[in-house]
Amino acid sequence: MNDKRHIQEEVEKTLNSLDGIQRAISNPYLFARIKARLEREEKSLWSKALTFISRPMVAVPAIVLTILINTAIFFEFKSEKIQTPQDEEQAFASEYNLSDYTIYESTIEPE
Amino acid sequence: MDEQFLIEKLRQGDEAAFREIVETWKNMVYNTAVGILQNAEDAEDVTQEVFVQVFESIKTFKAESKLSTWLYRITVSKALDHLRRKKRKKRFAYIQSLFGAGGETIIEKPDFNHPGIALDNKERSAILFKAIDRLPENQKIAFTLHKVEGLSYQEISDVMKTSVSSVESLMHRAKNNLKKLLQDHYQNKE
Repeated sequence: MNDKRHIQEEVEKTLNSLDGIQRAISNPYLFARIKARLEREEKSLWSKALTFISRPMVAVPAIVLTILINTAIFFEFKSEKIQTPQDEEQAFASEYNLSDYTIYESTIEPE
Repeated sequence: MDEQFLIEKLRQGDEAAFREIVETWKNMVYNTAVGILQNAEDAEDVTQEVFVQVFESIKTFKAESKLSTWLYRITVSKALDHLRRKKRKKRFAYIQSLFGAGGETIIEKPDFNHPGIALDNKERSAILFKAIDRLPENQKIAFTLHKVEGLSYQEISDVMKTSVSSVESLMHRAKNNLKKLLQDHYQNKE
C-alpha cells in the first residue's frame, strides 16, 4: 500500500518536473551557419542540375534525339528540289520577259 | 521592427530583415526542436532547416496567422520528418545487423537533459522525456508545446490546425499515457 502511494508520488513529481523550465538557447553563430547553408544549397542546385543532365538515362536519349532531329532535317533538305544556275536563269528571264524568239519559233500569219 | 514590415522586407530579399527574423525567433525554434527531438545537434540542424525554408518560402506566406505560429508549424513538421528519417535508418541498421551485414552499430539513445531545467529536477525530467518520447506523435507535440514552450491550448490548436477541444483531449490522453509509463518505470525500479 505504502509502495503504491510512494510510486504515485514519484509519478506526480516527475510529471511536474518540467514546471519552471527555461528556454534552451541556440548557437550564437546560427545566422552565419544558415547563410552558409543557403549559399551551399544555391551551389548544389547547379550541381544537381548538372548531375541530372549527365545521368545516362537522360544524356543518352538526349544525344539520340539530337542525332535524329539532325538526320531528319538533313534528309528533308536533300529531298527538296535543288535549283541549278540554269533554272535560276530561266526563272529570271521569264520574269522579265527576256526570252528571245528565233525566227523558227515565230509563226507567220498567212496573208 | 514591425512583423509585417519584416516580412515585406524579406520578400524583397533584404538580408538585414532575415537576420532580424532569425535573431528574434531562433531560441523559440531551437527550444521547440530540442523538446521534440531530445538531441541538441539534431535540434540545431532542424533550426537551420526551418530558417532556410522561411527564406525560400516567405513569398508563399499569406500572413493569415502570426509569423511565430507559422514558424512553430514548420519546426514541428521538420522535427517530425527528422525523427521519422532517424527511425527508418535505425530500423534499416537493425535489419542489416540481423543478416550480419556491417551496417552502422545501433547505439541506445542516451538520457536527454534539457539545458533549461534546474539541477535538482534533471534526473526526473530525463525520465519524463524518455516517457514523452514513447507517446504517439500528436500527443507528443501537444504536450511538448504546452510544457516546454509554455503555449496555451488556443495557441497549440492554431499551430496544429485543430480545435481547442481536440488539444484538450490530446493533453488528457498524453497525461494518462505518461502516468502509465512512469508507473511502469517506478514499479520496475523497486
